[in-house]
Formats: sequence, C-alpha cells, structure tokens
Amino acid sequence: MTKKLETGLIIGSAGLVAGGTAIVADTRGAPDAGEIAVITAVFLASFLVLLAAVRLWAPAGTRVLLPPVSLLTGLGIVMVTRLDKDLGLLQSWWLLVGSAIAGLVLFLLRRRGVEVLRRFRYLFLVGAIGLLALPLLPAGAPLRGVTINGSRLWVRLDLGSSTLSFQPGEAAKLLVVAFLASYLAERRRTLIEMRRSLGSVRIPEPRQLLPILLAAGIAFAVLVYQRDLGASLLLFAVFVTMLFAATDQASYLLAGGILVGGGAVLAHRLFDHVQTRISAWLHPFDDPAGTGFQMVQSLFALGNGGLTGTGLGSGRPDLIPAAATDFVYAAVGEELGLAGSLAVLTGFALLVGSGFRISLRAGNTFRTLLAAGLTMTLAVQTILILSGVVRLFPITGIALPFLSYGGSALLANLVLVVVLIRISHEERS
Amino acid sequence: MKHSIRRSAAGLLLLFGVVAIATTYQQAVAGADYRNDPRNPRIVFDVLLDRRGTITTADGQVVARSVVREDGSHERTYPWGERYAHIVGYASALFGETGVESARSDDLRGPEPTSIEALLDRLFRGGAGPRDLELSVVHTIQAAAASALGEQTGAVVALDPTTGAVLAYLSQPAFDPNTLLDLTSAPAGERLTGDPAQPLVDRAARRVYPPGSTFKIITATAAVEAAIAYPDTLLLDPIALPLPGSTATITNFGGGVCGDGDTVSLEWAMAISCNTAFASLGMEVGADRLIEAAETAGFNREVPFELPSVASMIPARLDDLAVVAQTAIGGRDVRASPLLMAVLGGALINDGVMMEPHVVASVIDPDGDVAERVAPRTWRTAMSTDTASILAGLLEGVVDNGTGYRAAVEGLRVGGKTGTAEVPDGPPHTWFVGFAIAPGGDTVAVAVLVESGGDRGGEGTGGSVAAPVAREVFEAWLEWVEATP
Repeated sequence: MTKKLETGLIIGSAGLVAGGTAIVADTRGAPDAGEIAVITAVFLASFLVLLAAVRLWAPAGTRVLLPPVSLLTGLGIVMVTRLDKDLGLLQSWWLLVGSAIAGLVLFLLRRRGVEVLRRFRYLFLVGAIGLLALPLLPAGAPLRGVTINGSRLWVRLDLGSSTLSFQPGEAAKLLVVAFLASYLAERRRTLIEMRRSLGSVRIPEPRQLLPILLAAGIAFAVLVYQRDLGASLLLFAVFVTMLFAATDQASYLLAGGILVGGGAVLAHRLFDHVQTRISAWLHPFDDPAGTGFQMVQSLFALGNGGLTGTGLGSGRPDLIPAAATDFVYAAVGEELGLAGSLAVLTGFALLVGSGFRISLRAGNTFRTLLAAGLTMTLAVQTILILSGVVRLFPITGIALPFLSYGGSALLANLVLVVVLIRISHEERS
Repeated sequence: MKHSIRRSAAGLLLLFGVVAIATTYQQAVAGADYRNDPRNPRIVFDVLLDRRGTITTADGQVVARSVVREDGSHERTYPWGERYAHIVGYASALFGETGVESARSDDLRGPEPTSIEALLDRLFRGGAGPRDLELSVVHTIQAAAASALGEQTGAVVALDPTTGAVLAYLSQPAFDPNTLLDLTSAPAGERLTGDPAQPLVDRAARRVYPPGSTFKIITATAAVEAAIAYPDTLLLDPIALPLPGSTATITNFGGGVCGDGDTVSLEWAMAISCNTAFASLGMEVGADRLIEAAETAGFNREVPFELPSVASMIPARLDDLAVVAQTAIGGRDVRASPLLMAVLGGALINDGVMMEPHVVASVIDPDGDVAERVAPRTWRTAMSTDTASILAGLLEGVVDNGTGYRAAVEGLRVGGKTGTAEVPDGPPHTWFVGFAIAPGGDTVAVAVLVESGGDRGGEGTGGSVAAPVAREVFEAWLEWVEATP
C-alpha cells in the first residue's frame, strides 16, 4: 500500500464520519452543522497526528493497519453520535487524546525500539496489578473506584469541579501483554521441557504450571472483586494463548481450557451475576422484560436490521441497554444491516490478520510474542463481545475495540496498533 | 513458536468466521421472526411515534393526521372522532391497525427509508416519506347521514354507481379512535369490546341482516330476466297466499289485498310492496332462477372492498315451494349487508353493472403530486341493461307512488325499495335501498339500514324510518353535486 493510498483511505474515513453524521443529523435532527464540522475536523486531525507520528518514528512500518482502524473508529463515532450526540462529540475528543498519547508512545520508542520495553517488565507487571486493583479504591477519596452496571471496573478522579472516569483495565491488558512477551521470551525453554508424559500427551511439572495457575488466580480475582467477566476471560485467554504460542505445548491450552471450565462451574455456583448472564444467554425469552432484556433487545435490533438495515438514524438501537458501549455491534446491525455488521467483522479480521503477519515476520522472540500477544488481545476482546451480542456466548460486558464509546479503551487500542506498526517498522529497517 | 502462532491465528480467524455465521443467522434467517415478534417494541413505536400521512375527505376535511410532539415523535389524531371511525379506523400501539389505516398502511407510513422503493421515490417522485390519502367520502354527505341517523343503530352507505366511489359510510353506534391509540388504552378497548351495543362492529360491511322486502328487487330481476313478468304483467292478488305443503299463509303488511283482490300489476305490487303477489311470483320463478339471480347480484361472495366485508347469503338450495315463496319476499335464510345492497341499488342505474366500492380516491406524494388515482373497477354484471332499466323504473314508482315516498326529493329522480324485516325477538329491521338521478345526469346509490325499527321501535317500517334517512342523504348529495363544477 502506498503512502498516498493510506492517506487517501484515512481521508475517506473522515468523509464517512462527515457523511454519516450528516445523515444522522437529517434523520434525528442532531447534531447541528457546527457539531458535524467539529467531530469531522477532530477525527481528521487525530488520524493526521497518528499518521505524522508513524511517518516520523516508524516510517517503514506497515500501512495496512491505520486505514481499517480509521474506518472502524469513524463508524464508531457515527454510531455513538447517532445514539447520543454529546457522547459522539466527547468520543472525538477522546480520539484526539488517544492519538496524541499513541504518538507519544512512538516518540518514546523512536531510538531503541520496542526492545526497550523488556527492561521494564516487572514494572509492567506491578503496574498492571496496580491498575487492576485501582477500582477497588474506597469511595470518598479524590481518586476512587466506582461501580457501574454492577461491575467495579471504573476509577473516577476528582479534578476540582469536574471528574474524570477511566477504566484502568484497558491499559492493564497492554502491560500484561508486554510483561508476558518479555517473560516468555526468556523463560520459554524452561517451560517447554516436559519430561513426564501421559500416553502421547506430555504433561508439565507442577513447577511449570505455576505461572498459569497464578494467571488463573489473578483472572478469578478480577471476576470476584470487580465482577468483570469480560476482563477476566480476556486476561486469561490471552495468557493461555501466549503461553501456547511461546512453548508450542498444546497441553497448556488443555490446562487453560480445564481451568476455564472449572472456573466457570465454580463461578456459576458462587455468583448471582454469573448465573444471570448464563440464563440470559441460554433462555433470553424466558424473562424478556427482566434478565433476558438486553439479549432480547439485541436480537430484535439485529433482526430489525435484516440484510440492508433501517438506515442511519431510522432504527431504534436506543432501545438496547448499553447500545453505545457493549452493544454497538447490534446498533450497527440494526441500522446498517447485515452488510454493515459483516463489514465491521471484515475490518477486524483484516486487523487481526495483519497483526499476526507482523508477528510472524518479526526477527526475534520478544517482538514475535509481543506482536502476537497484542493481536490476540484485540482478537479475543472482539470475539468475546461480538459472540455475546449475537448470542453465541454469554454477554461478557467488554468494549468492542474502536467502535464502542469509551476513552480508555480507545486510547489503549490505539497504542496497541501503533506498537504493532512500530514492530513492523523495526523488521523492515 | 511461529507454528503455534500460525495455529492460534487460524483458530482466532476461524472464530471470526463463526461470529460471521451467527450474525448472518440472527439477521437474515431468524431476523424476520424477531422483526415481527409482538414483544419487539419497534412494532409499537413504529405505530405510535412515526409520522403517518394525512387523510382528508373529498371536500377537504382532515379526518386523520399526525401531530408533531416536542420530542420529535408523532401523535395520531382523528379530529372527527366517531364520525369516520368505521372508515378510517385507527393505528394503535396496542390494538394494531384497522380501516383505511390498515388497508393503506404502506402508503401512510411511506416506504422504508433505505428500501429500493424509497430510493426510486427520491429520484423520480419528489421524495420518499408518508403519503397522504384523499377519500372519496364527502364530509357534508357523511354529516347528513350522521344527523339523519341520529342515535339510531344502523348503517348508511352512499356511493357513485358509475365508479363505486363511496360518498358516505356510516355505522352506528361507533367509537372514538382517539381513545384507543396509546399503551394506556387497554381499559377503553375492553369497555368497547364488552359493550352490548357492539360499537366496534362495522354494520355496513361486516354484518348481514334479513333484507325483507328489499329482496323483491332480486325476485323481480329473476322474473324479468326469465321473461316471466314485466311491469304491467298481472300477478295474483289474494288476501292470503296459502303455502304449498303447509297450513301457513303469506299475508300483506297490515292485511288486505294489493289491487282489486283479483290481480295486481308487478309495477303496483312493487310500489306498495305486495307480499302475496311477490310470493306467488317467486314460486313461478322457482328456486333455481331465484338463487341464480341473487348470486349473479353478488350474494354468497364477499364484496371486493378496501375494508373487511362479509358475504351476503342465500342458501344453495331452497327445499320446497313454501321456502321459495318466503325467500322471494326476503324472509327465511336470506341475509344481506348494507354495502352489497347499495352496490346493487347502483347497478339498476348503471346498466346492471356493479362497480367495486372504494373509499380511497387518491394517494398523494410528499411533494403534493398525485401518486395514484384509484380507477373505477367493474365487479360484476348483476342483470342485463334492459332489466336494469325496467327495475329502475319500478323503484321510481315506489318513491313516486308507493311506500318509499318519504325518500322523494324535489328536483331529483329518486327510486328505491323499502324493507321491513321481521325478526323473531323485537322490532323489525328497516331498510331503504335506492338511487337518485340529478338533472345533470349525476347519480348516487344509497342503502340505509336501521336496526329494530329505530326511534319508532315496533311501529317502524322501511318507509317511515329508513326512507327519511335516505332523503337527507340525497339532499346533501344534491347540494354537493350542485356546488361541485
């Protein structure tokens, strides 16, 4: 892909934002022309910042990642604007902040590349655990945890008269991947050598199982203390897949599966909120006005969209609880139809495919694992929430990367993408 | 390591494929079920909050429109309440759609904004969106029918016999559609459903009544078509007609004979609604020809109409002559709807041709152009042109010299047949079925049914109760014809 094409596609996405919000304005009566201009300008500025940062500090990096990211983010801003005009404006500002920070990350990596991250791996681990624990801060402090929709995964910071809310878990997932990539790059040998075997399957020593048990413990703690099924599953799935990738030992996948199964049974026994999620998934129409409400509304929205959708602003995705965050995919499905939802899926598949390609071309173990881990994070998160929305899997309550409203998730995913671009730059230069 | 990464990538991309299949299933396969699931609030909100087209009468009265509320949603209102309830119906979040609101739902709602149809509309038809409807119903005639009927239970149908365009369509008692629209209207709906007066029933098209003497139109038609009788043909005129195979007799209304006690002409027998003469004529015509004449005139099939209708009925077999005699004067098991009788009355002055009745005259695009003008459509031929003109003459005699004199209007040629249908328990149902011809050649057909003798109760007859209602409809129609260039 030429530079010209990359730039052109990003400008095309800005056109999509302008056109999409204009259609929304036509059908919904809001936003007004000024707001459309602001949203589009901020969107374009954000991606030009990203583009400039990439040109400066990762000029040889892949050019196939930013266009789909701009398309998905643009579509997200249009959908969020359609659901709540003010959130749409806010999201575009979050995008600018996220782009600036992602640019800053590229700047910091400009000399020594991603290798520099290996030095800070224990700092990352401590940081990730600290971030995950942040929402447990008691109420009343200037920096405090808050419970939203029954999950305690938010932190609120009082800044004089206003407050700033963020989800530290989103940043934590990047730190966890960075730590794991670095840790596994060094220790994979010791984890590979398995002397015992059961039939043809080789089984690890108890000592070798320690890390995976630790990860399972952390994931379970997240589930227990923060009631966050999505983050818990995401962390654990990424950990197990990275372990498998690093060691080539399928037995880790097996062990991971057993732990997830056992954890699921245990969680189902112990926690009401897990039970509710499971029954809302298996039998949404048993209680369509109660526990099944969100699932049922999601299905109604998808069904109402049909093949080509109701058109932007002409459906009723506002009837789905959390339409702008967890269920933005159902909103896309309703108003843009199967055509729109499959386009979104294709966008993600493109990102995931490119991410793995970067990983496979990486020159050393750390960069390979880092790129693979980041890509897996993106893929697993996307699959988790999407399979919830289409009722393949219980609803896990996690943001759809780039599309869902939410500054922390957008920021984390933009950083994820620029790190991938940086890795590909390092292989080519 | 890279081998495992490749396998992980393949696994995750496979999962994307699974999500794609699941999405396709939910949107394309199960989608229609979700879309039409009664629990899907979209159905409710579509009806409740979307703008629908305006419905007006032929003379410009708004009978249904959507009012914009502050939040941008819409509220349907029916400015005339009960008056047009059985034509326009309602679009309710709770009870769905009825009447024209249902029959023309697609036009009133407009095409889905993203459909191909909407795209074509935008390109070629001046914009997509709800379309307005203009009814053929004339507000002043509808008002005259309502005031003439007063509080009486019954139905009035007036239409243009040459086009089938309905000019007035009333069923009483009615209901106020404004009370049935939103989600709080369940109690109002239950009250109406449980009301013994049955205000929700459209008596014009959805109910059939014994036609009484108005059925003599069919008997006479059968006789003329079979060349058995003409207006001056003399029929038997006994004081009581014995029914073959039984001790029962048929007598005339109020007793007595119709002519000189010996014979009576068909013309006079029609004018004064002579039961004995028509019963004997019916026996002469015979069961087969009587049934055939009725079925040719639309009995035993639904009238093709925008609103739901039921079929008028005549038994497929009339077992013996006694039954034929009673059927010939509209007794026994014959049943007719006011709508069919109006169409039949119109056929007499339309060369025997029955037009399909319709209430919507035209559909208007969002930019004001006429998108569709409902074309007149022939339903069936009830009788030959000659028979029709003979029957029309007979019915003019009824109004000029006979039981229908209260329907006469100065300046109009009026014809019609009265009917007083005895029912087992309670006062008789009273009928008037006829037509009027203006000096300029314009025509109208009318059927009036007043249940249970109306305000006159047991004293009520077609001539005294139904004919005056028809007269007021004719007068309002004449005024409208004269005012319309």
